[in-house]
Amino acid sequence: MLRTLSSLMRLINGLNKAIGYSFAWLALGIVLVCFSVVMERYFFSNTRLWAQDLYIWLNGAMFTAVAGFALLRGDHVRVDIFYRAASKRRKAIADLVGVVLFLLPFTYVVYAYSVTFVQRSWRLWEGSANVGGMPGLFVLKSFIIVFAVVVALQGISMIIRSILVLKDRDDLIPRDYQYDAPATEPTKE
Amino acid sequence: MDPILVGEILSGLMFFGVIGMLMIGFPVAFTLAGTSLIFAYIGYQLDIFTFTSFTAMAGRYTGFMTNEVLVAVPLFIFMGVMLERSRIAEQLLLTMSKLFGNMRGGLGISVILVGALLAASTGVVGATVVTMGLISLPAMLRANYDPKLASGVICASGTLGQIIPPSTVLIFMADMLAGINSQVQMSKGNFAPDPVSVGDLFAGAFIPGVLLVSLYLLWMVFKAITDPESCPATPVPPEERKGLFKEVLVALVPPLALITAVLGSILLGIATPTEAASVGAVGASVLAATRWRLSWQVLKEVVVSTATITSMIFIILFGASIFAIVFRQLGGDNLVHEFLSSMPGGAIGAMIVVMLIMFVLGFILDTFEIIFIVIPITAPILLMLGLDPVWVGVMVGVNLQTSFLTPPFGFSLFYLRGVAPASVSTGQIYKGAIPFVALQIVAIALLFIFPELVTWLPSVLYR
Repeated sequence: MLRTLSSLMRLINGLNKAIGYSFAWLALGIVLVCFSVVMERYFFSNTRLWAQDLYIWLNGAMFTAVAGFALLRGDHVRVDIFYRAASKRRKAIADLVGVVLFLLPFTYVVYAYSVTFVQRSWRLWEGSANVGGMPGLFVLKSFIIVFAVVVALQGISMIIRSILVLKDRDDLIPRDYQYDAPATEPTKE
Repeated sequence: MDPILVGEILSGLMFFGVIGMLMIGFPVAFTLAGTSLIFAYIGYQLDIFTFTSFTAMAGRYTGFMTNEVLVAVPLFIFMGVMLERSRIAEQLLLTMSKLFGNMRGGLGISVILVGALLAASTGVVGATVVTMGLISLPAMLRANYDPKLASGVICASGTLGQIIPPSTVLIFMADMLAGINSQVQMSKGNFAPDPVSVGDLFAGAFIPGVLLVSLYLLWMVFKAITDPESCPATPVPPEERKGLFKEVLVALVPPLALITAVLGSILLGIATPTEAASVGAVGASVLAATRWRLSWQVLKEVVVSTATITSMIFIILFGASIFAIVFRQLGGDNLVHEFLSSMPGGAIGAMIVVMLIMFVLGFILDTFEIIFIVIPITAPILLMLGLDPVWVGVMVGVNLQTSFLTPPFGFSLFYLRGVAPASVSTGQIYKGAIPFVALQIVAIALLFIFPELVTWLPSVLYR
């Protein structure tokens, strides 16, 4: 049973890592598209309206898609007055409570109250509100649901981690996902 | 019981409930949203809340995802992270300290100057203090600086990023204040108000930022004169002095030119903050490439850091929107309105109360959470009472910065504790911060007495 849970946790982590490491490159996309729009405007007095939408939308897609990955890496800020000094069992309990009480209801509400909104956008094949802007606003809007799903999945992975810690089965948690794991920041060299 | 009263009580309880729940230590964005939902459910059971108000949520989220002002945030973060990961920032600091090293207090001065220039990029207090603490603290301790002074300088300069443009905090503040201001002006019958822009906030924060840096520098000079033991000179060996001119040219001038160009083009109105930020991000990458520091590995680290930091900030905004929706429907806005407008001293009295609340919140929450929660519920009233939106925004920035520096709860002190060697005691970090807190209070008082320090530059630049 615990082994099955552990595999599920690894599967979710793998998925969010794959999403995180690929969608993070949109950061470079934002920089390059925005820069080229600026260059075109100032040196060639030319503006491609769709490109102006594009880099803004890339940001929207990026920060929603990597939210689960950021949670996996522990990048979401915590008030850690008590959390930092807590034992790993206490951390596991705090995370368990947090996911069940806060995270899952939140992601459910986000999903439930945006699904018709997104569906309507798909039906209308909605594009940018700007004249000459990007088509496919419905794709961007769908990322609200992507956000809810990746975060909820990571929440489930955190629940499993908490259960494994509380059952003293740390051996079933990958090293980089344990509470006393070394910081994810790559060492400076 | 009167349903309006029940709603207001519930909204008050929710505010403190959120703070209480945050103590659990679960990530803020989700705790904020989750606790609000619990209170929404209680309100629903008491027949004073309908879940239909959540239909507005998806539209708001889309608004954040298609916001052309806020896209400057990942761009500036990219620039800052690139300067840091390619170790351009570190070299800047090392060169600067050689330049001023022969002076007493010179190392401290260079830490303040570099902090002022680089802190701005991410706006996340922790990141800046940690970076500066890792690079500068060992250098200052090796130079026999008083650990109190060294840690005070680092904590204070690390928080400067809150206020010195191009701070990401100011970008969010501008975006929120712009919307609030146009609503307030509209309700006052002014249908063509001057829009509040990011440029306005950057320009408004410029003189206060310079003021703070000058106060820090004066303190450093004062220490060097009255207490030379605390900040001895670090003589640079003659063989290194010879190469210094070239080093300054290579390590110091290009990043300074980049930062000046980015900031200058925004302040002079040549480029929008977003445009300037993209040029800054490309410029930082080019600087890294010309030093052979732009490896695949570095680029990967930069995009991953940029994406996750950006996500962290925007998701707090997502969570705070849920709070705002619930708080408003429960009648919390009215409660805040009544409370603030009953303050003695009118607008200034209300402003002082808001500042005090934010100051205390600064002990537990980071900037973004505070401004996303407090600005939407208090700024409409402050602006209604006639305060200048740019002044309010800048005051909030300086105020939070002070809060992060104040012992024993200040954030930046905690972060420095995390990276400081054991030889530096927590007491020394606290004591070191106190003079800088005093300087902050002087600055806040000056900005209260002379609001022109904030409002003058934007009025000249963007007429």
